[in-house]
Amino acid sequence: MSKVHPAVLEFEKMVKDRESYVKFIDEWVKYSWKWARESKYVTVFKIQASILHAIREYLDSQGFTEVLPPIIGPVTDPGIRGAKQATVDFYGHEYKVMSSAILYKQYMAAVLGKIYFISPNIRLEPNDSVFTGRHLVEFFQVDLEILNGTLDDAMNVAEGLFMYVTRYIRDTHGKDLEKMGRDLPHYKTPFNRYTHAEAVELVNKLGCSNPRNTEILWECEKVLSAHHDSPIFIYEYPKGSRGFYNREDPSKPGYLRDFDMLYPEGFGESISGGEREYEPVKVIARIREAGEDPNKYRWFLEMLKDFYPLKTAGFGIGVERLTRYICGLRAVWEARPYPKVAGVGPAP
Amino acid sequence: MFEWLALKISELALRVKAGLIMLRGINDFINDYPLDEILLKAIKGKEGVYPFGELASYGAAILGAPINRRSYPRFLTIDDLILVPPAFTPRRLEKMAELLREPVFTDVNLETNIGGLKSSMPLVVASMGSTDIASRYSIVIAKAAAEEGIPYGIGENVHTVRGYDKRLTHGHPSFKERVMAYLTNIDKYGGVFIQQNVEDAYDEHWNKVYSDKDLEPYINEGRIAFEIKIGQGAKPGLGGVIRMRREEAVKVKEKYHFLEDPEKTSRKEVERYSVPGTYTADILRGMIRLMRTSYPRAKVWVKVGPYRDVLDVIKVSYEEGADAVIIDGKEGGTGMAPSVAMKELGYPTIVGLIKIRRARLMGINEKVSLMIAGRLFNGAHIAKSRALGATAIYAGRPFIVAAMAKGEVGVRNLIEATRVETQMVVSALGKYDVKDLSPEDVASLNKDLASALGIPYVYSSEY
Repeated sequence: MSKVHPAVLEFEKMVKDRESYVKFIDEWVKYSWKWARESKYVTVFKIQASILHAIREYLDSQGFTEVLPPIIGPVTDPGIRGAKQATVDFYGHEYKVMSSAILYKQYMAAVLGKIYFISPNIRLEPNDSVFTGRHLVEFFQVDLEILNGTLDDAMNVAEGLFMYVTRYIRDTHGKDLEKMGRDLPHYKTPFNRYTHAEAVELVNKLGCSNPRNTEILWECEKVLSAHHDSPIFIYEYPKGSRGFYNREDPSKPGYLRDFDMLYPEGFGESISGGEREYEPVKVIARIREAGEDPNKYRWFLEMLKDFYPLKTAGFGIGVERLTRYICGLRAVWEARPYPKVAGVGPAP
Repeated sequence: MFEWLALKISELALRVKAGLIMLRGINDFINDYPLDEILLKAIKGKEGVYPFGELASYGAAILGAPINRRSYPRFLTIDDLILVPPAFTPRRLEKMAELLREPVFTDVNLETNIGGLKSSMPLVVASMGSTDIASRYSIVIAKAAAEEGIPYGIGENVHTVRGYDKRLTHGHPSFKERVMAYLTNIDKYGGVFIQQNVEDAYDEHWNKVYSDKDLEPYINEGRIAFEIKIGQGAKPGLGGVIRMRREEAVKVKEKYHFLEDPEKTSRKEVERYSVPGTYTADILRGMIRLMRTSYPRAKVWVKVGPYRDVLDVIKVSYEEGADAVIIDGKEGGTGMAPSVAMKELGYPTIVGLIKIRRARLMGINEKVSLMIAGRLFNGAHIAKSRALGATAIYAGRPFIVAAMAKGEVGVRNLIEATRVETQMVVSALGKYDVKDLSPEDVASLNKDLASALGIPYVYSSEY
C-alpha cells in the first residue's frame, strides 16, 4: 500500500518545472501578506496556535518545564546537513544564531530534569533546499530533553506527543480540517520502529535504492513515509551521518543511539533525536569528524565534565513541518507567516 | 699579530658565508629543482619537449641519452624507473584498423576521470594555499588550468587569510576571485577542489561554498570537490605557520592559536600556528560520511602526507566512498616548512607510488582515484604513475615556475607540452589510451625498487 497525500503530489508537480516554481516561490515569500489573509491561511494560523497550545499542555502534564531558549551563543548546532550558520558580532566576539539550541538543552535538563524550549532557529540552507518543500531558513522547533532518559523514553514521548496533538486538533478543529479537505488517518500505536538497516532494506524492497550506511535519501524517505498510515521511527543510524552529540552505542560500535520520526503519507521527516554522548574524549573525537577544533566548544566540554556523567536524551520537532502535516499543506512555506527560503530575498 | 690576522680572515670568511646562506632559499631551489626542463616548456610550449635551445636547434644538434646525474641523490625517485616500449605492438595494429592509417602520437586519448571530475589529461593543479607566492600567481594559473581542462585546487587558509569574497589583504585575490577565475573559464573539462582546515572550518568554509548562489550551477554540474587535508609531503604531521599583522591577529585571537598573545606583544607581526588536525580511522570515516551527507553534490577528496599507515587511509576512504586519495611524497612543495621536516619526516614520492601499487593489488579499484604528488612534472612521470596504478599526478610548483617565467601563457605552454610529451611516450609504448598503460610498460634501474613494485630489474639476465 502506498499513499501519497495529494498536497505532496501537487508540490512535486510544481517543482518539476523548476523555472516557473522559482518564479512562484519568489513572489510567494516576497508578498506573503497577500495570501496570509486568505481564509485557508487564517485557518492554518489558528490551527498552528492550537498545536502549540496542545504541545505545552501535553508536555506540562508529563512533568516537563518550559525553559526560555538562548537565541545567540558562541557556538550552535553544527550537525545541520551542509547548512550555514548565521553570525553576529557580539562586542568583538563572534556569536552564532541558534541553528538549534541542542547544545544548550543539556545543562537545563541537569537543573530541572525534563525541559523543553519552543525556540526559533536559523539555518542558511543550500540553494537546492527550496525544491524540497521541507526546508525553511527561519523556523521554530519544540526541543526537549530528559535527564537520565533513554532512546526508548524519547521515542515514547514523541509518540505520545504526536497522538495527543493530533487528537486535540481533531477535537477542536474538526470542522476546519473538513473545510480544508484534510482527513487525518486513524493512527495505530505503537508506531513501527525500524533500525536504519531495516529501513534501508525496506526501501530497497519498495524500489528506491538507498546505499547502506548513509542517511535515507529524500526520495526514499518519501517512499517509506507513503508506505505507512501511521508515523514510523527509524533508529540506530550509522555513525558519521549525524551531529557529534549523538551517542554511539557502546554495545554496537559504529551505530548511534538516535532516531528520526517520519510522518506518513509522503510528508517525511518530522523529528530527530536520541541519547547524547557524554564521554568528553568521545565528544572531542566526534567534533573532529566535522574538521573542527574542539577548542571552539570549550564551554560545552567543560560543562560536560562538571556535570559528568550527564546522561540525557531528547529530540526536536519542527513546528512548521507539524503544521504542514496536520493541515495537509503543499510545503512548509505555507505553514507560517513570513516564510524564508534559501536564496530568496529580501522578503518580510 | 699573525694570529689576530688569521682570526680576522676566518671571521670575514664566515661573514661572507653567512651572507651567502641568507640567499639560500632561492639558491637551493635553483640548484636543486629541475628548472631547465620546466622553464623550457613554459617558454616554448610543445616545442619545449625537445632539448633545443637557441644554439642547438633541429639539424644543428646532436643528441643522446644523458648518463650522468647532476648529483648523487639521497633517495630513489621516479627517475629510477624507465619506460620500456615493445617492438611488437598489437594495439597499434588495432588502432590502425580503427583509423585506417598509421596512428601517430596525437591520436592518444588522455581524457581521465579524476576523483569524479572530468579532465583532459591525468594531471591536476595541486591545491595551493594562502602564502604570498601561491596567492599572487593563483589567478593566472586558474585561468590556464581552466582553459586546458585540468582540475584546479584551492588550498587551506585562503578564506581566513585572504577573505571569502572581499579582499582582506592588499594585492591578493579573495577565495571567490580565485574560484571564479577558474570556473568561468572552463568548458567541457575541469573542476575545482577546495580544502578546509581546522581554521577554515571555524568560518564554515565548505558550508559557505555549498550555499553560495554563484557556485550553485557548478555544484549542480558536479564540478566541485572538497578536499580533506591530512598533512602534506614537506611536513607530514606538522601544521602550517602563518605570519599575521598584529592588528589582524587581535581580531582573530579567539579562533587561532598564537604562541604569543597578540595583544601583549610589541612586535609588528606575530606567528600563527595552524594545527595539523587530529585524525583516527574512525574520525576520517565519520568525516567522509558527514561530507557525503552534508554535501551530496560535491565530490570528496582526501590528501595525505607520506605516512606509514597510508594504506589504512586509502582503505577507509575507499570503503566510505571517497572519490580520490592523493599521496604527497616527501619531495612535495611547500610555502613554509621547517628544514628538519623536509629532510627527515616521511618517505619519498616513489614510496607513495609503491603504496598505490599495493592498494590496487589489494583490490582497491578505479572507483577511487589515487594520485601521487611530490616533484612530479612531466609526461614520463604521468605515464609511469599511470602504469603503476595511479590515476593522475598532482603538481604545484611547476605551475608557479611557469607563471613566473611567462604568466598565463607560460602555464598553458607547460600543460600543452606535458600533454604532448605524455601522448608521445604512451604511443611509443604502443598504446593509444592512457588507460591502457600497465606495469608491463615500466622497468626499474634499481633492484629494490623493482621488487617493491613487482616490475623487472633491467640489469638482470632474466630481463
